[in-house]
Amino acid sequence: MPHAIRIHETGGAEVLRWDEFDAGAPGPGEVRLRQTAIGANFLDIYHRAGTHHMPLDPLPAVPGVEGAGVVEAVGTGVAEVEAGDRVAYPITVGSYAEIRIIPAAQLVPLPDEVADDVAAAVILKGLTAEVLLRRTTQIAAGDEILVHAAAGGVGLILCQWAKHLGATVIGTVSTDEKAELARRYGCAHVINYSHEDFVSRVQDITSGRGVRAVFDAVGKDTFLGSLACVASSGTLASYGLASGPLPPFGFADLPMSAYLTRASVRSVTESRETLLQSAAALFDALRTGAVEPVISARYPLSQAAEAHVALETRRTTGSLILEP
Amino acid sequence: MTKAMILKKPGNLAWEDIDVGDPGAGEVRLRQTAVGLNFIDTHFADGSYPAQSYPCILGFEAAGVVDATGSGVTEVKEGDRAAYCLTMGAFTQARLIAADKLLLLPDSFSDEQAAAGLLKGMTVQYLLRQSYRVKTGDVILIHAAAGGVGNLLCQWAKHLGATVIGTVSSADKADYARARGCGHAIDYTREDFVARVNEITEGAGVDAVYDSVGKDTFLKSFSVLKPFGTLAMYGHTSGPVPSEDFAKIPMDRYFIRTTLAAYTNTREDMLAVANEFFDVVSTGGLKIDIGHTWPLSETDKAIADLDNRRTTGATVLIP
Repeated sequence: MPHAIRIHETGGAEVLRWDEFDAGAPGPGEVRLRQTAIGANFLDIYHRAGTHHMPLDPLPAVPGVEGAGVVEAVGTGVAEVEAGDRVAYPITVGSYAEIRIIPAAQLVPLPDEVADDVAAAVILKGLTAEVLLRRTTQIAAGDEILVHAAAGGVGLILCQWAKHLGATVIGTVSTDEKAELARRYGCAHVINYSHEDFVSRVQDITSGRGVRAVFDAVGKDTFLGSLACVASSGTLASYGLASGPLPPFGFADLPMSAYLTRASVRSVTESRETLLQSAAALFDALRTGAVEPVISARYPLSQAAEAHVALETRRTTGSLILEP
Repeated sequence: MTKAMILKKPGNLAWEDIDVGDPGAGEVRLRQTAVGLNFIDTHFADGSYPAQSYPCILGFEAAGVVDATGSGVTEVKEGDRAAYCLTMGAFTQARLIAADKLLLLPDSFSDEQAAAGLLKGMTVQYLLRQSYRVKTGDVILIHAAAGGVGNLLCQWAKHLGATVIGTVSSADKADYARARGCGHAIDYTREDFVARVNEITEGAGVDAVYDSVGKDTFLKSFSVLKPFGTLAMYGHTSGPVPSEDFAKIPMDRYFIRTTLAAYTNTREDMLAVANEFFDVVSTGGLKIDIGHTWPLSETDKAIADLDNRRTTGATVLIP
């Protein structure tokens, strides 16, 4: 009998249980996927804990949204893939499983040169970076940008890709080790916010202009500072709330003539056309070496709780992989 | 003697003599012939925007003739017709002002048109051409479409090839907006604008929303915005948006809080904004509508009218 990680109630990492789980047969438009690598993301913690109005429903449920594997069986009417295809998907709940059912329209066929573990490490984080750099904003040569959590999963991809586009990347990190890693992957200026005020450092680096874009997945702890770092006609893109919901702020805290947006990878994943376009741009960036995947830790799927604790205590860098 | 409308303290305006004095270095004295009244003046008059000190002279916009220049002034000379729109202290018959804040008026522009239209017209330039760049075929939503800025937004957006949907508060204002380029005028006192916009756009939503209303319209406006659409907020007549609403902005939409000052930081930027406005008026793309004229000495009555939303088109005060 195959297994999956399931939650029967929301809560801490301890609610992640290793259950026997029969995925069943694919219905119309669906496929059965034998998974080979699964990405662990901060979003999975929101789902597990039931915070940010994102509970999984109904329970018990299989958390996780990102994975890669091989198509084992297809249901009726599936045109996108066939049995034996190697595929990955960025954001479909139910990934912490050895075998799962998934709508075929959400699968991206993998080129030969993209290994399963690389795909599981970058398909969500890399598409998020693609959305942020090429759709939410159009980052170009000469732009100065600020990336919070620069050594994190999305952070390292953003830094590399933005540098490749010709931008000057300023990153914030919480430790000196993370600073070193961020620097190695494209960050021109790294700010350790544990002992430096990032707002005044950004003003120094940009000679008071502020940055063209701030990419903020930290939320509560950084948001007000991020507002103060955006240049006129620049963009603050909030794409996650790792430290908690946005703090209360007044109209007067909002910068004049800067764009505020909540960015989401769903802007490309909801249509198959844009999903494949965005994935093609990511695979291109991998092929040319503009983006190098950084897999910093691998855990057996049954030990997913360890990955969650590592993410929650901000000990991780790059991408975390769960191995079925 | 020169008279001015003095704000002694919030809520207390008085028509009194002032001594203007001579222009210092870089300054000119402007004898004013027409003064513009704007919604922001009502915020300062009632104290909801505090002035730096009291007594003070309100008003941001006027036109007139340069009467004397201080040393080092290169931008204008005595006898020039000039106007300005971002320097407080306009509710007066004459004033001193930094020469680099003045715009020379083209012959085709009357003083009243400048006083009535400069701030609003330059606001409309940055909103339609910079905050969100309106393209042919766009569908846009304009709140308060019959207002001073609103009617200019309708005209210029239509001139740019957009389909304009506007909200208004009465049937008369709906007619007024329609006559100025608003393809679909929604009387929000009788109809739900969200439902109407969805109907008009067949559920697709709009490319941009121009909003000066604030908290009453904020989240509703976002609900009719297309993915990657922009809501530009340039005022908040219904009150500021509460911070909890910002966290409810739907994904992948842009919010921008804007003000003309941010687009006119340098004289070069200011001239670029103004010149595009002058051009669109001179080619007939935009008509400045003066709805109400008051003596400057009755500014309090003009403010009450504006505050009670009884106006259509611009209000001009004559010194």
